[in-house]
Amino acid sequence: MSERLLAYTDKLSAKPGDLIQVKVSSPHSGKYRARLVRMICGDDSADGPGFKTEPVKGVAESEHAARFQPVPLGSYAAIKDRKGFALASFSLAAFIWPTRLDKGEAQCILGNWDAANASGYALYLDAQGRIALRVGESAPVTLEAPLLSRHWYRVAASFDAKSGRVTLAAHRQLPYAGNPQRQIARGKAAASTAANRFLIAAWNDGAKVTAHFNGKIDSPTVYAKAQPIEALLLPPGSRGALTPRQAVAAWDFARDIPGTTVIDRGPKRRNGQTVNLPTRAMTGWNWNGTEMNWVHKPEHYGAIHFHDDDLYDCGWETDFTLRLPKTLKSGIYCLHLTQGDLEEWTPLFVTPPKGKATARLAFLVPTASYLAYANHQMSTSWHFDELSSSRFTTFSQADLYMEEAGSLGLSTYDLHNDGSGVCHSSYLRPILNMRPKTDLWQFNADTHITDWLEAKKLPYDIITDEELERDGVAALKRYACVITGTHPEYYSERMLDGVQDYTNHGGRLMYLGANGFYWRIAWHPKLPGVIEHRRSEDGMRAWWTETGESYMEFTGEYSGLWRRNGRPPNMLAGVGFSAQGFDVASWFDRMPGSNDPRAAFIFKGVGQNERIGDFGSVGGGAAGWELDRADAALGTPPHALILATANEFPASYHWVKEEFNHSHSAVNGDTCPMVKADLVFFETPKGGAVFSASSISWAGSLAHNGYDNNVSRITENVVRRFLEAKPL
Amino acid sequence: MLSIDPTRTDLCEEFKRQPAGRHSADLHRLLDLMRWGYARGKTIILCTVPHKEWRLAKMGPRRGSKVQVDNSRVFHDHDDAVWACFRARWKEMTGRDCPVE
Repeated sequence: MSERLLAYTDKLSAKPGDLIQVKVSSPHSGKYRARLVRMICGDDSADGPGFKTEPVKGVAESEHAARFQPVPLGSYAAIKDRKGFALASFSLAAFIWPTRLDKGEAQCILGNWDAANASGYALYLDAQGRIALRVGESAPVTLEAPLLSRHWYRVAASFDAKSGRVTLAAHRQLPYAGNPQRQIARGKAAASTAANRFLIAAWNDGAKVTAHFNGKIDSPTVYAKAQPIEALLLPPGSRGALTPRQAVAAWDFARDIPGTTVIDRGPKRRNGQTVNLPTRAMTGWNWNGTEMNWVHKPEHYGAIHFHDDDLYDCGWETDFTLRLPKTLKSGIYCLHLTQGDLEEWTPLFVTPPKGKATARLAFLVPTASYLAYANHQMSTSWHFDELSSSRFTTFSQADLYMEEAGSLGLSTYDLHNDGSGVCHSSYLRPILNMRPKTDLWQFNADTHITDWLEAKKLPYDIITDEELERDGVAALKRYACVITGTHPEYYSERMLDGVQDYTNHGGRLMYLGANGFYWRIAWHPKLPGVIEHRRSEDGMRAWWTETGESYMEFTGEYSGLWRRNGRPPNMLAGVGFSAQGFDVASWFDRMPGSNDPRAAFIFKGVGQNERIGDFGSVGGGAAGWELDRADAALGTPPHALILATANEFPASYHWVKEEFNHSHSAVNGDTCPMVKADLVFFETPKGGAVFSASSISWAGSLAHNGYDNNVSRITENVVRRFLEAKPL
Repeated sequence: MLSIDPTRTDLCEEFKRQPAGRHSADLHRLLDLMRWGYARGKTIILCTVPHKEWRLAKMGPRRGSKVQVDNSRVFHDHDDAVWACFRARWKEMTGRDCPVE
């Protein structure tokens, strides 16, 4: 198994003077060294501008003892009270929708079982996918037949300590001929009244938590006596069913859906907390399609979907703290750790001091988009990865590490082990693809922009999506010009309002990327460092939401595309996602709009017939990977100028699926006129403006020929003019 | 039936000459068939030294299992690794060696 030195910090963006907690895990004992550097260019390939960092004065190198810290994958709920569950006789009941019956290991539904000393009790799925009950050291009692995956079941167990009798049952919601809808089994056990920690969707193994359940659990309930099995199998609320008042605890997951509390409707209020953000706002056992938005009918959304590979917070101990100097210049920094042959680079985005701007230009770092992609394992989540990218799967060392480790918490591009979509992503974990010296995508591709700004001696401040979310337009309005990264794809409503307000009130935006402002996310209103995104309705989506699960649990907003939320990216940027391909890039040809006097400043020093960007380190051209086009029907302003267009793409480039409402074969670069990119410029109210490069590959062409090329020239013409106060 | 025509050595030569970019329609079709579905269980490429060295590999049965690396050949040119992967996929799909070396 490959080895890595891993680190993360408690904050992703910080101000000068802030204290940063640094958490590190090493596969070896001994010591590692740590230093802080400013990152100028993270591209270490031979074709790129060169890997460049700058030392930081005022932060000394340090050495620390190395130790291993595990990554605690898997979600569950932990109940605060223990004594109330130390029961001789008891009954357990729940609705379950299991999703990983082929796991080959036990998966606990609920109980206080401790595998380390065989004490307590648990209702669970055994390694063969059958419902089972364990009590203390007694042999498990098991139903005969495995369950069916992705079917709702009412499951129940009843245990009488005096007689030792166990009754166990499962009732499937759907009847099938030839497959019994109900199973009942009877057995014997001896009571175990240990006051262990009570968990839902996992059990104890000493201090550890294991046997993570995969699937949905709804209405888990505990009683302090052996209830009749027929009563336990009745759905709550039906005639003859038991009530929460009779329960030791009866959790209602339909309460506090945006939060982490699991609330007990029983008389003792034995509440608990979820761990690792299992997915809430999930359709429950009683969902019937009469409501698609959990906000309006929470009682139909009383299920939580647990996964054995959920991760919110690694929870590592802090190895050392770092006080950022009060005079630290705003920029992209990295903590660089080394131990023997191992090295780790952990980015830290340093903004100017609060309320200040220390440059006239801001580089808006798309940290929400970095999170959306964090630790992705698309090559094992997608059955269409090689078809989409037109490449044979190629693993980096980071891909190898994650595949062999199982995962490092996955990304919103992935499927969980049980095949369901991942909708949360957090920065409280090492993120292997948000690093220098990685593929030229997102973070590392964006360092081509910082590299160019430094080469052109254009001072810039760093602002990230977190500041934009927190402060809205106030994060940007001090800047004469704001530059985006190569792929600012994921936006919350507040972030999108912030940028739209900026351009509406005289701000000048340079969108140096493509497929931006595309998907709707939400940051958690209380928990730090985590976004939610659901792949609702349409778009180039890595997975699709189950019916009724398209509204986000964090905020109740409809997720999916901004286009399908009424705000196509064309409204803000003049262009929107049109096509993509990942084998080779192309160039732009000038269009009549480039000769409009309003655009004269953009093309100073560029010949009329020059191919723009038929060179570059991201695909070999400035028009590549993902492409945006202008479209008045989607909100491109009527006065926008199309300056140049790229439309020479091979069949490996594909039109975006949300634009064809019916399948046909003319959807690739060799037959589809929508496979193109448009370079666009337009003025906005109060002296503002927007310039859109409409291509992810654009920034990869900036450094070509020692920064002396027409992509760099155009970009420089725009930024210098945008920084001039005089009206456009 | 969706299958590769094993007599089309011209498509192998075309891919060997230019693995990325504009391909003939028949080569495009062949690559679509080769790339259909999950990569697990098929030969993939592993970069063992960034920008410098590649080997062929195969993933285990599920996430969390060891990746089998073919250490018998080390490629110092990325295109050589891509060509070797093409040949391995040809064999996996047709049962026979790729007719072009």
